[in-house]
Amino acid sequence: MSLFDKFSDLAAARKSLGDGPVPPVATPMDAISSATEATIGGQPVILAGTNNYLGLTFHPDCIEQARQALTRHGTGTTGSRMANGTYREHQALEAELGAAFGWPAAMVFSTGYQANLGVLSTLAGPDDFLLVDADSHASIFDGARLGSAQVIRFRHNDPENLERRLARLGENASRALVVVEGLYSMLGDQPPLAAFVEVVKKHGAWLLLDEAHSFGVFGERGLGLAEQESLLDEVDFIVGTFSKSLAGIGGFCVSPHPELEMLRYASRPYIFTASPSPAVIASTRTALDLSLKGQELRQQLWRNINRLYGYLTKLGYEMGSTTPGPVAAVILPDRKTALAHWQGLLDAGIYANLMIPPATPQGMNLLRISLSAAHTDAQMDRILGAFDGLGSGQ
Amino acid sequence: MKRQTIDQAIRESVAEALPGLGDPDFDARLTSDLGLDSVQVMNMIMEIEDRLDISIPVNVLAEVHTLGQLGDQLEALKGGPS
Repeated sequence: MSLFDKFSDLAAARKSLGDGPVPPVATPMDAISSATEATIGGQPVILAGTNNYLGLTFHPDCIEQARQALTRHGTGTTGSRMANGTYREHQALEAELGAAFGWPAAMVFSTGYQANLGVLSTLAGPDDFLLVDADSHASIFDGARLGSAQVIRFRHNDPENLERRLARLGENASRALVVVEGLYSMLGDQPPLAAFVEVVKKHGAWLLLDEAHSFGVFGERGLGLAEQESLLDEVDFIVGTFSKSLAGIGGFCVSPHPELEMLRYASRPYIFTASPSPAVIASTRTALDLSLKGQELRQQLWRNINRLYGYLTKLGYEMGSTTPGPVAAVILPDRKTALAHWQGLLDAGIYANLMIPPATPQGMNLLRISLSAAHTDAQMDRILGAFDGLGSGQ
Repeated sequence: MKRQTIDQAIRESVAEALPGLGDPDFDARLTSDLGLDSVQVMNMIMEIEDRLDISIPVNVLAEVHTLGQLGDQLEALKGGPS
């Protein structure tokens, strides 16, 4: 018997991916030269498997603001927001996020994962209920597990299934927080948000929308799916991340309810960790401003999205979502085919993501392409062209 | 709700998740014996929830390793034996 026996299934799964020179999971990047280019295994590649939706990681203004903050305020805060880790700039970013949504409350967390942990584990207490979509991100399930509320799953993207669960709660539905995402990162699909809002309102429940993958992508100002569908007034809490469209690291929660501020005194993932470093806060503030004004970036991103979805559909691939979005998940019949596709793309100079069970819903084997506003037309030609030699996998 | 009704819903949901299994052993462990992965287990439980019109809190499932234990929890959620 060993402490490590429990990992034998994972070890077998890892072994099944082979021992080629470039591993398909935790793939090491030798060098990053731009938002869309890197060197992997000694070969230059186009990055088509990052979450850099607006392509801001190398934006000169973000880099310059981060550089100045690094020089002025040092490398780290070395402490919690509740002790020595609240700088004027953390408060300024929170004010800017609140202002972007027109809401009075905004909290910044050290990662997007911790934003869900901190909000879900604290907002819903022992007498409350968390109703979460079955295909939710791990941070949502982990946040639910860290708290003490009763956790109930409903079928993915199924408002009618949610309604049955809310109806069973009866009057207790007023103490239920429903959690959905603006874009599900595995299959790239979106929720029927208006229908969810209708069910939540009907039963007097609360709605939290995780816009981690949709912030910067949807809506005139890039605020996410709620903005695009004119439903901002119907949402109680929005959680988001700085590590995708905003090209940094960190997370946030904004709300029209000023009482959110009380979480600062109760949320353990907020309190018991160091606050984000000055350079990260500075680049994030600049990226937020660029995103809010980023209509041209979104136009280019959506041009790339529509090209990719159109092309892959024409080639006969089954996609994880029929509605185009920044994540394009190609469903492949088995792990071997998915691995062959991933390697084929890499050999053609394209880095994508291989996604396999247990990380994927319904045991799917996926090749996931994530697009960026920074992908040029020529790079898109290369990405599309790389699929020509692979076969449809059907 | 009668235990018989609960066990029947479990049987039907297992048959859907594992076609061809036949009558399942209620002492079999869901993962190591029946060979269900964690996603299959969760989907099977949502199927049972719909059949019995009951919500099973995820927290409760941490204590459930066999079909029999699942039946016990469902019986408790529905207010005990009747």
